[in-house]
Amino acid sequence: MIGARNTRTVAAFEFLSTVKRPGYLIATFGMPLFVALYGGLVAIPAFYLERKQAEPKVYGVVDEAGVLGLEGEARAPRPAIPDEIRRALEASGQAAALDRALVSSQYVFRPYAAEPDARQALVARDVDGYFVVPRDYLESGGVDTYAPETVRMGGGDARTALGSLLRQRLLAGRVDEQVAARVASPTSGGRRFAVTPEGELGDGSVAATVTRLVVPIGFMVLFLMSIMMSAGYLLQGTATEKENKVVEVLLASANPDEIMAGKLVGLGGAGLLQIGVWLVMLGAAGVGIVPMLVAARVEVPWLALGLALPLFVLAFLFFGSLMLGTGSIGSNMREAQQLAMGWSLTAVLPFMLMSLLIEDPHGAVARALTWIPFSTAPVTVFRASVDPAGLAWWEIAGAFAVLVASTWLALQLGARLFRVGLLISGARPKFREILRQARLAG
Amino acid sequence: MPILAFDAITKSYGDTVALRDVSFEVPEGQIFGLLGPNGAGKSTLIRILMDILRPDSGGIRLFGEPRRRQHLDRLGYLPEERGLYRKLKVLDVMTYFGALKGISRADARARSLEWLERLDLAHTASWKIERLSKGMSQKVQIASALLTDPELCVLDEPTTGLDPVNVRLVLDLLAGRRTHGRTTILSTHHMNEVEALCDRVALIDRGRLMVYGPVDEVRQRYSRPEVRVETRERPPEVPAVTAMVQEAPAVWRLTLGDGAAPSAVLGALVAAGAAIDRFEPILAPIEDIFVRVVREGQA
Repeated sequence: MIGARNTRTVAAFEFLSTVKRPGYLIATFGMPLFVALYGGLVAIPAFYLERKQAEPKVYGVVDEAGVLGLEGEARAPRPAIPDEIRRALEASGQAAALDRALVSSQYVFRPYAAEPDARQALVARDVDGYFVVPRDYLESGGVDTYAPETVRMGGGDARTALGSLLRQRLLAGRVDEQVAARVASPTSGGRRFAVTPEGELGDGSVAATVTRLVVPIGFMVLFLMSIMMSAGYLLQGTATEKENKVVEVLLASANPDEIMAGKLVGLGGAGLLQIGVWLVMLGAAGVGIVPMLVAARVEVPWLALGLALPLFVLAFLFFGSLMLGTGSIGSNMREAQQLAMGWSLTAVLPFMLMSLLIEDPHGAVARALTWIPFSTAPVTVFRASVDPAGLAWWEIAGAFAVLVASTWLALQLGARLFRVGLLISGARPKFREILRQARLAG
Repeated sequence: MPILAFDAITKSYGDTVALRDVSFEVPEGQIFGLLGPNGAGKSTLIRILMDILRPDSGGIRLFGEPRRRQHLDRLGYLPEERGLYRKLKVLDVMTYFGALKGISRADARARSLEWLERLDLAHTASWKIERLSKGMSQKVQIASALLTDPELCVLDEPTTGLDPVNVRLVLDLLAGRRTHGRTTILSTHHMNEVEALCDRVALIDRGRLMVYGPVDEVRQRYSRPEVRVETRERPPEVPAVTAMVQEAPAVWRLTLGDGAAPSAVLGALVAAGAAIDRFEPILAPIEDIFVRVVREGQA
């Protein structure tokens, strides 16, 4: 088939000439390095802050009520870490980080006989602050906090730590150890379950919830990025061909439909390869996440992952056809971008309605967006990920039907506009002229 | 057998008629001149041949059958408005154009190198197009059009902007194609090239076919009945000659009477004792025919 051959030839040419461009290589391999560099710069203050926080923080305590019974410096009990997070961190070899996290939350409380002594210590910077537990503490529950005049973060943590210490000391000797431990940390263990409408139990852990949100949001981000980047390549390639007057030579060998299909495949492939490289680099950097997910017994949203690729390809062809068709009417890159911008905005629609989707993934808005081709792919993946049980099979089938039909129409419309656009040179034609030419092009 | 036949092609752009009922044939193995003033409809006709535009009515026969998409692989084309991918390498661009014509990438690459060698551009194979001079770029485009040795090739103004050496090179290429039985349609405004190279011409003006036929026949058709004679003495008076003007020393232009054949006039002059060094019928230059036809059309 001459059509398939020409499409393959155009696709291979567009793909190879794009991936060999310095700009493409810089974006593909430079972007992760840039992000890593940026992350490193951002991490430097966080690193020093963590080191600072790892140092013991000494607070004074004036125990007028005598409930703490401090004879020397005392440390607050370690905070409880939920089981699932502890398991996940240990499974991924992050036990050291766990220890650091626990150590960093330790506060040391130094007793002072009277408030003036504690104040003197604060002025001398011997302590970071101090608390006064008044005589009527047991009746009132009030604890006064004294801190330096300068703005300081972390005072709240010290107060929480003092609370833990107070709980421990108040219960000591009054109740048995188990009860004391439960009072200190009443809900630290146990698993969370999600109950489906059919009464079946699923994974309801925080990690599972996060995973279910990360998959569709990651899909949306990648989807948008690939649309924007590939559209940029598509428009740039076509505008260059028009400006360089290569178009007529191409049209003498291949028809506009073949050229458009070749460009969509070739430049779409280049865009996907770029995202693939980023994902691999991201995966290599964050490979430790996998044992965390396994250890946390997170249920992977397989339905959403399975739907993501075919929906992604269809949606890419849908948007690509429309953007390439309308963009080709422009006589240069700037005009092409202006003409194609409208489609980019429609691709952002699901992002703009994200809060509504999270609030009610199967509500009226989400259901309506499933049937609108501009948002079908991301919204379907979102719903399948967040709550697969609430997404009926006929809605999935409908989403595919809508997208297949819309993509077919978009290809037809895009090809007609592309045919007109390739032959138009000079000033941008009026809308009526474009319509007339599009009718003739059929 | 004609390799190409246009049959009553009509094409309009809105209210403007670009081509009106144009029909003619292009015989195989010839160089065919497609002539006409700017905006006459030549480019539209070529675009219709290349299936870039579709006619409102009429048809095209190529290689003895109705034109199909598959025929495009056997055609070469150098458009008037042309260019190359400025940021890409010469060899890559030529290989791409060859592959679009149905030959393998390896074959296209090998042929590209051969053509670059032939055009003395082998050293530019790895250059980016933007590094080429205008003349070099034009030769690369011509080579791209001829890369697959197409059975029919349409070249629109192939020599514009080239120096005389390269003009000669290109014209020799076209003559070489004819020797190998390939057909070339040459659209040009250089009438000397038409006279020197073309076997047959078609002149289009305002969308209509105005002149068509073998070059010599067309020139004869539009020539006045005159002959040029070189002789040291004034030629003798003979009945078939109605007027005689000396153009230069020993060169005379003779106007013939109605129906008088040049050969008969030559015989009469010799019989009357003229010592003739040179005798030739004066054929109208293609340029004069072009101007005359276009002016008559405007009138």
